Amino acid sequence: MSAGEREARLTTLLVFGAMTIGAVAQIWIPPGPTTLVAATGIASLVVLGLSFVVPGRLRTTLSGFRFTSSLLITLAIFAILGTLILQGKPAELYRARYGAVAPLILALRFDDIFHGLPYAGLMALFGAAILASATLRWPISARRAGFFIAHVGLLISGAGAAASSMLSVRGRIDLFAGGDVAHQVRVTRNGVATGAYEKLPFELRLDQFDLVNYETEYRVGYYEKTRIVRDGVAMDDYRLKTSFDPDLAWHRLPQGDRFRLKAIYPDFEQVARLTPAAEGPPALLVTLAGRPQWLQPGEVAGTPDGSLAVAFGDQRPIPPPGYATTVLVSLLERQVIVHRADGDAAQPLTEGLALLGGAVRFDRLLPHSARGAVYQTRGREWRNPAVVVETELNGRSSETLAVAAQPRGIFLRDGRAALVFEKRDQEVKAFLSHVTARQGDDLRRAVISVNDPFEFGGWTLYQVNYNPDDPTYSGLEAVRDPGVLWVFVGFVLICIGVFYMLYVEPRLRGGGIERPAPGTTSAATL
Amino acid sequence: MLQYVLVEHPFFALTSLLYLAATLAYAVAWASPHRLPGQAGTALMVAGLALNTAVIAGRWVEAGRAPFKSLFESLVFFAFCIALLYVIFERLYRTRLFGVAAGLMTFGSMAYALTKWDAEIVKLPPALQSGWFVPHVMVYFIGYAAVAIATGVAVVQLLASRIPFVHRLTTMKAGSVLSGEPLDLDQISYDAVRFGFILLTVGLLVGSVWAKSAWGDFWVWDPKENWSLVTWLVYGAYLHLRKVRGWRGDRAAWLAIIGFAVVMFTYLGISMLPTAEESAHVYTGT
Repeated sequence: MSAGEREARLTTLLVFGAMTIGAVAQIWIPPGPTTLVAATGIASLVVLGLSFVVPGRLRTTLSGFRFTSSLLITLAIFAILGTLILQGKPAELYRARYGAVAPLILALRFDDIFHGLPYAGLMALFGAAILASATLRWPISARRAGFFIAHVGLLISGAGAAASSMLSVRGRIDLFAGGDVAHQVRVTRNGVATGAYEKLPFELRLDQFDLVNYETEYRVGYYEKTRIVRDGVAMDDYRLKTSFDPDLAWHRLPQGDRFRLKAIYPDFEQVARLTPAAEGPPALLVTLAGRPQWLQPGEVAGTPDGSLAVAFGDQRPIPPPGYATTVLVSLLERQVIVHRADGDAAQPLTEGLALLGGAVRFDRLLPHSARGAVYQTRGREWRNPAVVVETELNGRSSETLAVAAQPRGIFLRDGRAALVFEKRDQEVKAFLSHVTARQGDDLRRAVISVNDPFEFGGWTLYQVNYNPDDPTYSGLEAVRDPGVLWVFVGFVLICIGVFYMLYVEPRLRGGGIERPAPGTTSAATL
Repeated sequence: MLQYVLVEHPFFALTSLLYLAATLAYAVAWASPHRLPGQAGTALMVAGLALNTAVIAGRWVEAGRAPFKSLFESLVFFAFCIALLYVIFERLYRTRLFGVAAGLMTFGSMAYALTKWDAEIVKLPPALQSGWFVPHVMVYFIGYAAVAIATGVAVVQLLASRIPFVHRLTTMKAGSVLSGEPLDLDQISYDAVRFGFILLTVGLLVGSVWAKSAWGDFWVWDPKENWSLVTWLVYGAYLHLRKVRGWRGDRAAWLAIIGFAVVMFTYLGISMLPTAEESAHVYTGT
């Protein structure tokens, strides 16, 4: 058997052995962060120790590239399994979801795969491999500095992650603006409350909570019907594919149709309007206090303050109550009567007739009219916007009024798509918790938002929750993690080390091949 | 759909067409003894890259944020990264041999964006409003582009040992290989992988720092995190295995291809996982 074959066999034995021992051991030892860290640490040292005392090629195999590669691939397989199997769920869920495979998943503790002993076994081999390869490459030289930097980084990261896993505390603080001061944290694990509380070394008060939305905007949204599965039930849903500014240009839609906004009313109102017709009741256009209005027989127009009204009728109308002065218009008599408490004054009805110093003017009289509606805007401010949407489908066009305050779909292609003129004002931009923390004489004020936590007294506070029904509530996550700094220090070292190994070391070696580590199958160090 | 894209998003359409034209020109350069088709390919690729840059910049301005939020936006950026790295790569190695692969990938990315049309500009939710967002995405996508190019080279490497025409392409001096020197495909692929690996490492680091600043945890075993780790481990194994005798050449090429398949799954396939609903990384509309 060649050295390479022996190494391959020993590699297989080590990897499968670690997983098997782990799988058997966890019959008695339940998985968990402590289990993972303790088992990894102890097993790493045991394997490393054995590699020094056991005769043969154990240490050279551990530090070899073939072994490392095999280990990395196996760890990758575990990482993949962790995404194929739901993690940290109740046993009943596995039985319901995975059927016959569920007992195997539960027996192997693959329901918490990253805290189980098979994974710990692999991590132990990983740690042992790093240490073993370091001993074989000692002492540090410029040509091998990258290896040491990267692998020290891996060890520091691992140690930091272990410390984080075992020593960190995290939990929730529920605060209400102007409410009670928080002194403790409700401890959670994997997002679930454990029932334990951890005292804070400071007191925390929520002064104010702000939910900041993006600025309101109006858009013409284009939705397409799609089949979705929600809670295991297949259903149709309309999904926003794109949207358009409210402008007057023609726009092409993804399914080939066109649309445009034929009219835009920033502050929409619908006003009744009468137009000449071949038949129908007569109509009179009256301008009362500067505002033109159409009246048909039997209708009255009055000023808001009750000082003046105009009544229109076939015969002389009865003066409407509540007005100091009324102008009565009789169509058959073609007469206008100004009616006051002290008496009436009549004169003939003519187009253009102005009365009461111009407060009333008769602009037009139609012998027959039809009632319709006209759209207009009260102003340029976007208070109650509406648009007239003209769609062109298969060469046929149609118009629809769309009011943003009452968004309705303009359906296209048998309902497969829809246009909606909509108001967007509910998109959250930021959650801001204004807090005050006090530790003895040390008083600090801060604004906590997502991505901008607040560090105080050894704890870091994160914005994680709010209640749309209670604007005074804010949910904070409090974390005390002594290991995280070391994790990041390790990460940085890994980056530097990898760069050094891949780009600096080859130059130092002049692009040549370095002498392999004794006993390994490698032709060069990484 | 095509009519809509041409009218409403003409720069997107033109960018895609330029990438397609570049692919065709590079393909013609394979068979041509003249330099002109190859030069045309480069010119078209550079023009596509310039327009792709304009598309991204325009959307960045319009949205008021980096256009990396939706799958559509990320695909357009992915095409940009591949084109950018390829143009540098072409200059560095003085070969246009891999222009077809790069062109197919850039055009493929744009075409896929077309099928996953999601042009709506969505506001950034608070979780993505972080200084880490842009570096995290940029580093990762340039890394993805690097390993994509490595895969293109690996494919040519595998074909070259099996198809005489491809083998001839790797040595001829004309439209494709400008230097006239035979190409060391294994080394070129390795160069691209090691560059990509460094970026994947940095991307992983930046992502974990961001996760810590947003949620208080540097690692939450989210499916996307796990698959990013898988990617890193696979390429880590690739780099280690190159030091083992017998693991260069075809074997290394296959491993580079497998690595890229993992990258693509990490990028596009996470929504297929049973654990995807618990992920904070799944694109909408996938």
